[in-house]
Amino acid sequence: MKDFANVQAEKGLTTHPVAEMYAREHKEGKLDRREFLVRTTALGVSAAAAYSLIGATPAAAQERAVPAEGGTLRIQTRVYAGKDPRVYDWSELGNLSRGIVEYLVEYNRDGSFSGVLLESWEANEDATQYTLRLRPGVTWNNGDAFTAEDVAANFVGWCDSTVEGNSMAARMGALVDPDTGQAREGGIEVVDDLTVRINFPSPEIALIPGMADYPSAVQHRDHIGEDPLEHGIGTGAYMLESIEVGISAVLVRNPDHTYWRDAYLDRIEFVDVGEDPANWFASAEADEVDMTYQTTGDFIDLFDGLGWERSEVTTAATYVLRMNQNNAPYDDVRVRQAVNLAVDPAVLLELGYSGLGTEAENHHVCPIHPEYAELPPLTFDPEAALALLQEAGAADHVFEITSLDDGFERDTADALGAMLRDAGFNVERVIIPGATYWNDWTSYPFSGTTWNHRELGVQILNLAYRSGVAWNEAAYSNPDFDALLDEASGIQDADARREIMAQIEQIMQDDAVINQPYWRSLFRHHKAGILNAEMHPKFEINVHYLGYAA
Amino acid sequence: MGAFILRRTGVMILTALCLTFVVFFLTNLFPNLEKLAKTQGNARMSDAEVVSWLDRNGYGGPMILRYGEWLGVVPGWTREDPQTGEITGRCIDFGMDPADAPRFCGLLQGDLGYSTVSNDEVAHIIGGRLVLTGILMFWAFAIMVPAALLVGVLAGMREGSRLDRSLSTFSIASTATPEYVSGVVFIVLLASSTAGVSSTLSEWGWLGPDGWLGDRNTLFLGSARSAMDGGITFWNFTLPVVTIALYGMGYIARMTRASMAEVMTSQYIRTARLKGVSFRNIVLKHALRNALIAPFTVIMLQFPWLLTGVVIVETLFSYNGFGWTLVQAASNNDIELLLACSIVAVLVVLVTQLISDIGYVLLNPRIRIS
Repeated sequence: MKDFANVQAEKGLTTHPVAEMYAREHKEGKLDRREFLVRTTALGVSAAAAYSLIGATPAAAQERAVPAEGGTLRIQTRVYAGKDPRVYDWSELGNLSRGIVEYLVEYNRDGSFSGVLLESWEANEDATQYTLRLRPGVTWNNGDAFTAEDVAANFVGWCDSTVEGNSMAARMGALVDPDTGQAREGGIEVVDDLTVRINFPSPEIALIPGMADYPSAVQHRDHIGEDPLEHGIGTGAYMLESIEVGISAVLVRNPDHTYWRDAYLDRIEFVDVGEDPANWFASAEADEVDMTYQTTGDFIDLFDGLGWERSEVTTAATYVLRMNQNNAPYDDVRVRQAVNLAVDPAVLLELGYSGLGTEAENHHVCPIHPEYAELPPLTFDPEAALALLQEAGAADHVFEITSLDDGFERDTADALGAMLRDAGFNVERVIIPGATYWNDWTSYPFSGTTWNHRELGVQILNLAYRSGVAWNEAAYSNPDFDALLDEASGIQDADARREIMAQIEQIMQDDAVINQPYWRSLFRHHKAGILNAEMHPKFEINVHYLGYAA
Repeated sequence: MGAFILRRTGVMILTALCLTFVVFFLTNLFPNLEKLAKTQGNARMSDAEVVSWLDRNGYGGPMILRYGEWLGVVPGWTREDPQTGEITGRCIDFGMDPADAPRFCGLLQGDLGYSTVSNDEVAHIIGGRLVLTGILMFWAFAIMVPAALLVGVLAGMREGSRLDRSLSTFSIASTATPEYVSGVVFIVLLASSTAGVSSTLSEWGWLGPDGWLGDRNTLFLGSARSAMDGGITFWNFTLPVVTIALYGMGYIARMTRASMAEVMTSQYIRTARLKGVSFRNIVLKHALRNALIAPFTVIMLQFPWLLTGVVIVETLFSYNGFGWTLVQAASNNDIELLLACSIVAVLVVLVTQLISDIGYVLLNPRIRIS
């Protein structure tokens, strides 16, 4: 048998002891290929090296197709006013600015990470120290070289939790000093022009996923905190020609800038026709766009009917219906359990999302997450639910379920309401338009929230269910849960973490923190002949890859 | 007459003042400011962050003073950042030296303010949008008025005839169908590739790659977006225009009919008839002018009605004009854009009223304005 270590040495591929452990786990069947790729590439092992570790060659689909030079592409998407990337709250903002400011790392459709402005990265054994190696030869479009100073300045900016709405601060975890709200002293080290070292006080496994998310666009060192659409300085191949918020934005090739790799399209138009999928479809029928940002619900079939290509990706994106525990009677665990008992997720999946996904288990950890632990199946028992509700003395309570006024959000909440009514609960439905819905999303007593895909199970739990965090919409507070989550967030080994994860998932179910009916598959449509426009688990569109088939 | 116009202008200014204050008051209620902060900052900001954002961006002062700032009678706010010492203010544009900035910058100084949602001066935005809506309205009027007068006169010249009954039924039906119903019906029937006539036409090969009607998927376009870049065509602009026109048309036609019917029974028409004037000449030479006095007022009144109509139609057909802007401004609590929209609305309503009053005098010598 061939010695893998030698093969790697020959190819010059670096690897990591933990990655080798994952490779063993993969071969023993404990990790599937997707999980293996997520975890090893997060440790800094390149995708090629990761594949070589398990003796596989990358599937053909993972190699990006090379489009022809030139062309104009029109993308249906929302066009929001630009702002400081750190406070980006929609993927669409990142999609537009990605042509100008790029990212250190990107998350691929298959769950792996690859370097963009980073050539490579590696973590030490207990994942407290990361060494980031920058790609040489990258320049800003103002002529400056891209150096470690830029990266360090961005890290300092990301860690500044005093900026209102800076979601990068949460992604940087323990790198933020809780006393000053700024980057920890000695946390960010510039080693040389092309190397940055990040030192964490405790093990941190979500740094790389955090750097691949849309608010982490890398800005020029002198422009931290500014809007890239305004200053226009970046490493990307494009520049903004025009933007009219809510209507359209246009990116064109920057003629005065030498981009560090190939880009294909000459011009990308972002076309905003509002929030209503019916308008998206009308726009497609009128030949005003070439691809959609996302296609949902009934419109998937309609777009198929236009002869467009459908692209699907399975994700940990989901719709969570949660009761806010600051609102009586939802502080009573029996009431919440009663709701979960009365709801059959299969029905909600079918009625709410046309069956375009898989059933979830009320604990917000997805089977594609590496640390997912399988629990016994949930029970569906409307009679027991009503009995439990009566026992809690809340039989007269009117469950006011709030949702968006359109799309699968409304349909799923309607289906939930109908199931509760069938079980004998009093239900009232409230719908609120998208423009105002998100103002109070964390404080509605009982409402639905869409959650995007996250790469690791612990990430989402840290964001949404830890006591007192900003996005804790269920107002959930349980010291035992927090303690277990702390423990899980420091364990790299998938199996070891899974044992703790099983307990965490069990607590989530027992406390009936959320009702989570399904995991969503995401869809996008584009005209035939457009390359690299496939749906991405995080809705990303990278304009540098797009193009027309030669 | 001069005094009358002057008085009307005074009323107009007073109305605009009251309306803008109401709009200002409502958009500056705290929940709305919170919404503004969250759309501008981050949709998931905490309450403390919202307060700090509002304070930093000049929404902290008393409401009446801020209204004064917007009017331009109170000096614009300025604020010095305690950490960096950077001075920001209402009248200080990006990159401007605070010392050069004017003290006042409000409506009186000709500054309509800044649209938060569009990141642009209100004056830049609203001008272009009004032109787009103007084009839409022009075509709607160009179709609505002649068609309505024709239908009304034809129906009114022989009251109770079969022609009258059928045209009246049509007018009542069209005016009873609001835009959000007729627009959707039109889209389904004429602008959907799966329902209505377009799929049949495609099967016949009249539409599609080699169709003689064009290479579109649908007969008409259900989105008027392509009309905005100067490319107005019969196929992309018909549906929004007709949707607006149809609603107003029935109403004007009914008014014309009533007026025409009344004129046709008057003494002088009977005399003309007895003298042997042909029916055609009676209608065209004797009845028409008198019958048009009442519809003229109604047509002018249609302008304010159309303003509400364009809100629906522009949203439905993705046409980014004034109505669409109003919806965007309202749903994002874009305070200064909304205020500008309300001023425009007041202007349109009162100016058309003024024209209608003056025109009435000119058409009908028996009326005097004193």
